[in-house]
Amino acid sequence: MSDEEHHFESKADAGASKTYPQQAGTIRKNGYIVIKNRPCKVVEVSTSKTGKHGHAKCHFVAIDIFTSKKLEDIVPSSHNCDVPHVNRTDYQLIDISEDGFVSLLTENGNTKDDLKLPTDDNLLTQIKEGFAEGKDLVVSVMSSMGEEQINALKDIGPKN
Amino acid sequence: MQGFTPNTDFSELHSTMRAIELASNSIQMQISPAASEAIILSLGQSSQPYKTCQFILENSLVATARFQAAAAIREAAIREWGFLNADDKRSLISFCLCYAMQHASSPDSYVQAKVSSVAAQLMKRGWLEVVAAEKETLFYQVNQAILGIHGVDVQFAGIKFLESLVSEFSPSTSSAMGLPREFHEQCRRSLERDYMKTFYQWTQEAASSVTNRIIESDSVVPEVKVCTAALDLMLQILNWDFRSNTSDTKINVFSAGVGQDGDSFRRPECHLVQPGSDWRDVLILSGHVGWLLSLYAALRPKFTYEGYWLDCPIAVSARKLIVQFCSLTGTVFLSDDGKMHERHLLQLLSGILEWVDPPDAVSKAIENGKSDSEMIDGCRAILAIANVTTPCVFDNLLKSMRAIGTLTFLSMWMSEVIKVLITRNTEDGTWSWEARDILLDTWTALLMPINTITVNDLLPSEGIKAAANLFGFIVECELRMASASAFNDEGDSDYLRASISAMDERLSSYALIARASIDVTIPLLTHVFSERVTRLNQGRGIIDLTETMEELYSLMLIIGHVIADEGEGEMPLVPNAIQTQFVVNSVEADKHPVILLSSTIIKFAEQCLNPEMRDSVFSPRLMESIIWFLARWSSTYLMSSDGIGEKILDSGHHYEHSSKKVLLSFFGEHNQGRVILDIIVRISLITLTSYPGEKDLQGLTCYMLLHSLVQQRHICVQLVALNSWHELANAFSTEKTLFLLDISHQRSLAQTLVRSASGVRNSEESSQYVRNLMGHIATYIVEMSSKSNLKNVAQQPDILLSVSCMLERLRGAASASEPRTQKAIYELGFSVMNPILVLLEVYKHESAVVYLLLKFVVDWVDGQITYLEAQETAAVVNFCMRLLQLYSSHNIGKISLSLSSSLLSEAQTDKYKDLRALLQLLSSLCSKDMIDFSSDSIEAQGTNISQVVYFGLHIVTPLISMDLLKYPKLCHDYFSLLSHLLEVYPETFAQLNSEAFNHILGTLDFGLHHQDVDVVSKCLRALQALASYHYKETGNGNIGLGAHAMGLKDSSGEVQEGLLSRFLRSLLQLLFFEDYSSDLISVAADALLPLILCEKGLYQVNDSS
Repeated sequence: MSDEEHHFESKADAGASKTYPQQAGTIRKNGYIVIKNRPCKVVEVSTSKTGKHGHAKCHFVAIDIFTSKKLEDIVPSSHNCDVPHVNRTDYQLIDISEDGFVSLLTENGNTKDDLKLPTDDNLLTQIKEGFAEGKDLVVSVMSSMGEEQINALKDIGPKN
Repeated sequence: MQGFTPNTDFSELHSTMRAIELASNSIQMQISPAASEAIILSLGQSSQPYKTCQFILENSLVATARFQAAAAIREAAIREWGFLNADDKRSLISFCLCYAMQHASSPDSYVQAKVSSVAAQLMKRGWLEVVAAEKETLFYQVNQAILGIHGVDVQFAGIKFLESLVSEFSPSTSSAMGLPREFHEQCRRSLERDYMKTFYQWTQEAASSVTNRIIESDSVVPEVKVCTAALDLMLQILNWDFRSNTSDTKINVFSAGVGQDGDSFRRPECHLVQPGSDWRDVLILSGHVGWLLSLYAALRPKFTYEGYWLDCPIAVSARKLIVQFCSLTGTVFLSDDGKMHERHLLQLLSGILEWVDPPDAVSKAIENGKSDSEMIDGCRAILAIANVTTPCVFDNLLKSMRAIGTLTFLSMWMSEVIKVLITRNTEDGTWSWEARDILLDTWTALLMPINTITVNDLLPSEGIKAAANLFGFIVECELRMASASAFNDEGDSDYLRASISAMDERLSSYALIARASIDVTIPLLTHVFSERVTRLNQGRGIIDLTETMEELYSLMLIIGHVIADEGEGEMPLVPNAIQTQFVVNSVEADKHPVILLSSTIIKFAEQCLNPEMRDSVFSPRLMESIIWFLARWSSTYLMSSDGIGEKILDSGHHYEHSSKKVLLSFFGEHNQGRVILDIIVRISLITLTSYPGEKDLQGLTCYMLLHSLVQQRHICVQLVALNSWHELANAFSTEKTLFLLDISHQRSLAQTLVRSASGVRNSEESSQYVRNLMGHIATYIVEMSSKSNLKNVAQQPDILLSVSCMLERLRGAASASEPRTQKAIYELGFSVMNPILVLLEVYKHESAVVYLLLKFVVDWVDGQITYLEAQETAAVVNFCMRLLQLYSSHNIGKISLSLSSSLLSEAQTDKYKDLRALLQLLSSLCSKDMIDFSSDSIEAQGTNISQVVYFGLHIVTPLISMDLLKYPKLCHDYFSLLSHLLEVYPETFAQLNSEAFNHILGTLDFGLHHQDVDVVSKCLRALQALASYHYKETGNGNIGLGAHAMGLKDSSGEVQEGLLSRFLRSLLQLLFFEDYSSDLISVAADALLPLILCEKGLYQVNDSS
């Protein structure tokens, strides 16, 4: 099916996290999958057969982990799918600059300044307000296939 | 709001009428409906609006206004009934009744119907206070009307009045009157005892009085309306739930002489009409049934005339009543050995036969456009007859008229219906489907006792033959349908489990029919099955075999149902018919038809082990049916422990049961059992390894087949001795393909394999077996957790997958813990305790893995806790607390950010599942105090379970937001745990710090106002426990809940109310002013008493104010 077309495309993305082949039947709800060259989280898997006495195939409904777009794919159960390597790293939030970039403290004491604040107003206010209130915030950054985004926020107590 | 006061002034009456008319009209035209509705409502709500309403009824030209006036009378009178004097009441009822009669011929009959039903309701309202003579006067008028002296319309109105009266008095259709159940029940009893039969007689007379006019006339006459109403009323009365006669004759419910077998199964939906012996003269002796049948017979030729047709109201009503008469049973018939009942049924059957005989001609007519109602009603009637007779009586009915018995006729009839069904190959919902289902129900009703009674005693030999013919035809048709549908790609819905449960009822009925003639049907099935197998073997590689495969699939399901029952969690026995119907010599066991059939199927299934055959023939769907069959078959036959069944059945019939003995010994441990078990294991291994991605097939193999095999110890003994079982265990540990199974299937497989350890000779060896099986998995986890670059590799998809698999396998093993293997499984879990914490840290963002980790711990602790010695307990408890703290530190204050609402709600659901698991963990820990098999007291190590659990709860509760408590299961678990803790350890609760304490109280308050009765009652029980504890302790001079019970000053200096007085207040508030279920009364009272005792002062202050 459609997965064969973009099977090797991810390699073009030099230096980015790899994708791994994995049998379609083993991909479960809440797992990850690459559809149309986008890293997605699976929200629904259903199986059906190709004809009464044929083989099983999986129908995936998944959501792009960065853009939240819904994508779908159908793959024979025994074939391989690409699964993205999704990494999450925690950083302490040091500063929010006026041009919408954040300054984060890495584990080895350097700062990471290339990440933008989320664009969505709601998420933005949660971060900004928390920061303005002087809370000690840890952000977790999700990265996959060469993209990065802040995806969770944790309050580890007031700043001393 | 404008009110309507009683007023005799004509102009005012007139203006009110105008207002109501206007309002009624504007409602209909949708002009300012709210205002108009308010005007109309105010009429019913005003005090004594009767004069006004009567005025409107008599004078208004607007029908809807008259309708509203009638409704207003009803509303006001029911409300004010207590204040009205006897004359007012009487005059209201008689006004309504007279109105309905006088206006019987007026248009807008719905107004008359409404007034008539108001009369009925008011009559019921006053039923218990009015003397009999007064009722007689009213009923005299009604009787006059029904007799027809005032003409056909009044006659109709009279019957309709009785109809509303009967429906008012029947509990299921009565209108609410704001009175206790008891009132309705007394009315029901009184009407049944004193009036019901009289009503029936009046109706009967009315109907017969108009019969001649109807029969003689070639066109529709007004009398038809009366007759239809009368038939409906009779049907309604016969539908009445007669109780006076059934209570004392409960044992003899199935009529005198007929259907004596008390344990025969009757379907709950079948309604038996049992009015009792008082009704014999009216229903049986009066020739009533004869009249009814001849009425319908006279109507039939008229169906071609103008105004009549097969489904015209009078025809429908007459047929319904005839069907209803088929269900008549009980003491209404003389106890003359069933003769009277038989005559009654025979009479009905001769009438009904006209509708359906000959079946082929009738079905052809229906296919050509005739209405199917007579056919369907005929099926219903035969079902009703089957429900009140024994098969022999049933069969004999027709013999007095025809050369064949009823069973033979039923078999022909059903064959015809099935023939139509398959030739048309129509959608669900057509007449042939419905007729087939009803006729199948008929067979089921007749044959159900076959499971306890020997066939020969149940059926006459002709009936057995009829069943055999029918079953042969059913198999033929099912096969034809299967091959016709082989290429239908119906997509998702066509799964074995779904399709079996949808077909299950049908297949079970087929099985009953087959078992009625088992010595013919088993060889037939063997023949048909072998033939298909031959066809597969010959056609392999030459032609497309899909049709044959589908036929085999279908046959497999049918055969599975015929030769074995579903255990429903218990050990199924060999079906009674198979036990008793075959006379076999034990020397020639392999000639036993059931053994032949089983062997044929198993031999066929075995061929899937050959890779070539597998690729060309054994499709995933066919394999699903094979696995299903093997699971069902093996739980009945394979190494069945014979002893249990033998004791249940009468041991006197040695000869008859030789069939069973032969069967069980043939498939027993010392004969073919081992060989077959080996085949089954090999086939399972093949489905797991050679059908990649076929989740459904593998699910069936894991959950149904393998899982049920290891439930019995003696089978485990055989299993662990088999090479194939060790191959499976080996593949499980080493083979890569098994890591590609669905992870929950892997869990099930781990559980199955560990459970089979119960078959290993001694506990030493079984522990070794578990260690061999699971050891490398623990090693993997330990090594993984100690990798220096774990953080970098952990989130690689391949590592993620294998960690998940390993955790699920560990969890499966943990949940299979048994006393024998407990030690080994404890060690297994102990070795991964620290790695688990490491993984929890690394995967804190990977909710799926976190959940697996938690669930493993939950299952492990649950299986182990009761056996653990003090030192082990301390270690486990300590580990659990670290786990809780770590989880809490990751999640408290965490906010997930995502643009996608569905991902956010997933995150919420994940959290809910985690917390539920944690609560389960705490509950398991709690159980250590209740059940403990260890040798020494855990206190020795200084472990105090109550403190531990409260501490755990203290960690977990802040994570449980009020939002999360909206998940019913979580809410339920939380309050179960909470109420358990407060009931058992109130003293520990008292020692909590005030923050934790207040959080718990907050949730308790939340729970008290929850909608779920169960949650509220748990909270009430918790409250009761707290208050009683405090009361008892303070009575003994202790402090009890101490400072918590008193008012406290919080940090801002404001006085906070003590908890007991706070809850006393809120509980009283709840009981007095809020809606709550009456189920809560007793538990609320239990909680209230100790609260009042603790806070006497507050209670009395409130009381006096």
